[in-house]
Amino acid sequence: MTTTLPPLNEADVNQMDGALGEFLNQTNATTALVIDKGGFMITHKGDATRFDLTTIAALASGAYMANETIANLVHESKFSSVYQQGENFSMFVSCIDEYCLLVIIFASRLSVGAIKYFAAPTGEKIAGQLKFAQERDPDAGFDLSALNVADSESLFRKRV
Amino acid sequence: MAILNAATKELQLKIVYYGPAMCGKTTNLVQVHKRVQTAPGNKGRLVSLATNSDRTLFFDFLPIEAKTIKGFKTKFQLYTVPGQVIYNATRQLVLRGVDGVVFVADSQYSKMAENVESFQNLEENLRTCNLNLADIPYVLQYNKRDLQGVAPVEYMEFLLNSREVQVPSFSATAHDCNGVFETLNAISRALLTKFINQGTPQYAS
Repeated sequence: MTTTLPPLNEADVNQMDGALGEFLNQTNATTALVIDKGGFMITHKGDATRFDLTTIAALASGAYMANETIANLVHESKFSSVYQQGENFSMFVSCIDEYCLLVIIFASRLSVGAIKYFAAPTGEKIAGQLKFAQERDPDAGFDLSALNVADSESLFRKRV
Repeated sequence: MAILNAATKELQLKIVYYGPAMCGKTTNLVQVHKRVQTAPGNKGRLVSLATNSDRTLFFDFLPIEAKTIKGFKTKFQLYTVPGQVIYNATRQLVLRGVDGVVFVADSQYSKMAENVESFQNLEENLRTCNLNLADIPYVLQYNKRDLQGVAPVEYMEFLLNSREVQVPSFSATAHDCNGVFETLNAISRALLTKFINQGTPQYAS
């Protein structure tokens, strides 16, 4: 079977949210997201009102993947994290596992060293939960039996 | 890669608009963003990472939520790739995690070689992601039908849609929004059908 991110249930998301919440308490960071390398947001904790998190997820994954390609060009297998420093907010992106990334938005006055220090065990906890979800039923697909494509004749309608 | 969050009953799917330079990929997203009927909050902003001359440098991105079906929120993320030949590494990045493809072809006779080259490039880049075009939903859009000197649809079908399994194709004039929603609805339906019938997505590594 092709390896893939497993379907996530409520317990998986709660566990990941718990790890992100603990990280925010430890660091005073503003927002933490788990995203996949394709650009989707999986879950997030913290302030979601000031930022467009969907777009940040897409752009952060693109930036990380671009850096990974640059790493290959300088004969590195990967750069394990990306740090962008701003005047008010900074962003730190680190690799959780083969498929997912941890994105942290934090006030620039905070120490990036602390963010990096606490991000490592947070990433490990999330990776562990994803592994657990994968091993729960490795052959599980998506149960979308409740969906009916006949209902989706016009998923998107044009405004006239 | 589709993501199903059973906790929130959300299905997220990634569609990439692919095709040669200046064929109308960005115009498709601009028209969807401008004209789609959605509930408030179901349409995100259209982000374009473009050069000073409005040519796509990295990608365009539009998140959009379809109507809820049987309690499931279906969220689609629409991307374009840069069409210019030199940006192939970027196209490979954008294809990561793709669930479905819209191949936009330029209908002008003079662009047929570029269409074919871009289609072959799509197949090659999918292979670098461990994907096979035959295994993922895709549709074709023959754009710019309003211009002079366009090739007959039958000829474009022969060039781009003569594989073992033919896929849906649509004539379009994207700048007038003709064919844009037909194309988007077709790929969206194809994706949902695939996941309902098959369940497990392929993963683009």
